[in-house]
Amino acid sequence: MADLEIRGLHVRTEEREILRGVDLKINRGEIHALMGPNGSGKSTLANTLLGHPAYEVTEGTITFKGEDITEAEPHERAKAGLFLAFQYPVAIPGVSVANFLRMAINAKREGGPRDGAHPEGRTLKGTGRQAGGEPIQLKEFRSRLEHAVELLDVDRAFTSRHLNDGFSGGEKKRAEILQMAMLAPDVAILDETDSGLDIDALRTVAEGVQKLHDEQGLGALIITHYQRILHYVKPQFVHILMDGRIVLEGGVELVERLEREGYDQIRQEYGDEVAA
Amino acid sequence: MSGVGGTLSAAAPIEVKPGRHREAALYHALHGAGAADGRSLAELREAALDAYEHLELPVWRRSGFWTTSLASLDLDALRTTIDERSVPDVATRTLPDRPRAGRIVQSAGAVVHVELDEALAEQGVLLCSLERAFAEHGELASAWYSKRLPLDRHKLEAANAAFWTGGAFLYVPPGVVVEDPFEIVYAIERRGIAQYGRTLVLGDRSSEFRVHEYDVAENFDGPALHAGAFEMYLQDGARCRLAQYQDWGSGEVFDVSTRFVGVGRDAYCHWLPALLGGHLVRHHDELAVMEKGGDMAFRGVFCTEEDEHLDVFAVDLHETGPSGGDVHWRGTATGESRASFEGLIQIDPGSQRTHTYLQIHTMMLSPKARIDAIPSVLVSADDVSASHGGTVGELDETAIFYMQSRGLDRAAAVRVIVEGFFEPLITQLEDEPLEQLVRARIEQKLAAAHEDIEAYATSR
Ligand SMILES: Nc1ncnc2c1ncn2[C@@H]1O[C@H](COP(=O)(O)OP(=O)(O)OP(=O)(O)O)[C@@H](O)[C@H]1O
Ligand SMILES: [Mg+2]
Repeated sequence: MADLEIRGLHVRTEEREILRGVDLKINRGEIHALMGPNGSGKSTLANTLLGHPAYEVTEGTITFKGEDITEAEPHERAKAGLFLAFQYPVAIPGVSVANFLRMAINAKREGGPRDGAHPEGRTLKGTGRQAGGEPIQLKEFRSRLEHAVELLDVDRAFTSRHLNDGFSGGEKKRAEILQMAMLAPDVAILDETDSGLDIDALRTVAEGVQKLHDEQGLGALIITHYQRILHYVKPQFVHILMDGRIVLEGGVELVERLEREGYDQIRQEYGDEVAA
Repeated sequence: MSGVGGTLSAAAPIEVKPGRHREAALYHALHGAGAADGRSLAELREAALDAYEHLELPVWRRSGFWTTSLASLDLDALRTTIDERSVPDVATRTLPDRPRAGRIVQSAGAVVHVELDEALAEQGVLLCSLERAFAEHGELASAWYSKRLPLDRHKLEAANAAFWTGGAFLYVPPGVVVEDPFEIVYAIERRGIAQYGRTLVLGDRSSEFRVHEYDVAENFDGPALHAGAFEMYLQDGARCRLAQYQDWGSGEVFDVSTRFVGVGRDAYCHWLPALLGGHLVRHHDELAVMEKGGDMAFRGVFCTEEDEHLDVFAVDLHETGPSGGDVHWRGTATGESRASFEGLIQIDPGSQRTHTYLQIHTMMLSPKARIDAIPSVLVSADDVSASHGGTVGELDETAIFYMQSRGLDRAAAVRVIVEGFFEPLITQLEDEPLEQLVRARIEQKLAAAHEDIEAYATSR
């Protein structure tokens, strides 16, 4: 069984069904790219994987490291080793990047879910490599932060600013990857992390992702509209999402085909399958 | 609510309606001379007693917004006792153990503890009960007592002026600079007590000092009353950082208080009340620039829970210019609590070159809680800038999800948001022990309201 396994996933919001049967398997150490036109459901999938309350799973399951997490709380999924780099990161006024990271690392380190916190008795074992109970020592935290700051080529002062508060678009995206580096997830979903980055920032961020993959065996689902990022991070698998379904799967050659032909061609080809 | 520097959104002048409670008058700045007017303490007590006898319990009403009524306060069931001898446990428990310049503690109607740093005493600093100040430093006390506080706007104000015992008096002589705070404590240990607290603080020319007031009560069942009157006068060039830590506990404590801080020539006051608990709290807090060059920062935080009722009327008064003002309050409400805040900027005729700004930010944390905030501006000078702004917020679910996706559980995420909300003001206390105390109390209140906050989130 794959580390992250999505089977027959149907997702709706209050208004309508957005995902209409998605199947996807991602293992640690694998890099996947997910592409698809605006509104096809990419962010919906990303948010659903982390348990966003606005999205209701009506059919299908999500399993992570052998556990069914379809109904798990978002923080349990994070503690289990999933990570989402948001398309639109949220500002958290009054909390510095460094303090937030320490809180997050310590939250992840806390053992399993607290007693009574989960009335339905859903628990997650395997909470990842970081479980260990003790809060992180300041010294260890500092050296890890130092390392991540270097990896992502951000200013040291950056970490004492309030998280995403008044950050530029590019700074927000870097802060997402900085958090990813610090939290060391098993599988990360990067929702358009490349949009809004200039070419140098794009390279830094992408190389950072590649390095986490090479050194720590990170598995990643890179959601993107552009070929650019895929020059720096090489995906082994490419999936095309249209109208809530994955209509095409393959290797990097798919990306090139997409650049050449656009979505219309694919839509025509798979038209009956993605009937609106 | 919004305002841009330089634009004046003047509220309509408030009509004073005739009527027994004279409600409307209660939303005016005190403004102008107090009751003293050359009268002796005995004469003032007599006048106050007379007022007490014919006045009724007040009602504060802002139609369409809130009503603060003392209908459930049974004055006859309360007693002022003066036989207390020891510092109540709640005071010992609450006050941080830290360096201090002095401390005075009143329990019910009696001052039970006074201490003052010896070196400061030698420099002429006075810290004692107000009763004693009248006995031993009569001229100084009489010169300032009730200089700006009235005694007959409502029954509890009159009661305070007529019946106060004990009291606190602090005098800091010219040029004396004190780093550690003077602590003034009003504590209520048992149900059934009516405490009439009376404080007079004088900062003489170019003095610099801090005052921390603690208003605390044991968690008893049943009613008690604190009717307080506080006045502080800062003379030329004096600077004071004044903070109140108020937590009347879970008893049925009514707190109806008036506070006036007068800022003299080139003087400065930074004032921050932290209103963190009380069954029914009604404060009139007025910070006035009385002479040219005076400057002030008026901050405040509140955090109501359960069935608490809070009503704050905060006044930023400019009697002359040039002067500066900066009012910034933040508050949250959980449970079925009600918090009402009215902030008034008043700039008198001739107060040219006054610059002031009022902002109030609130956050509702449960479906049955309610916060109202009314900013108003009364301007009678033309070369000024006075404006107001603010936000009314709810918990940001996208921020909560964001933090949850990083491994924080919901309760922790909510805590981060609310703490972040208060943090800009708490750090302005510039006093680590007091900051910790305020943070811890807010955290405790949020933890207690956790289910409530949860229910609110799922209801939306
Ligand atoms: N919370 C929501 N409530 C209502 N509709 C939503 C919600 N989230 C997404 N949708 C709708 O679902 C569809 C898919 O949105 P989604 O954000 O998943 O697309 P996307 O593939 O990420 O698009 P883009 O490339 O523009 O980022 C859109 O029509 C969108 O309007
Ligand atoms: Mg998207």
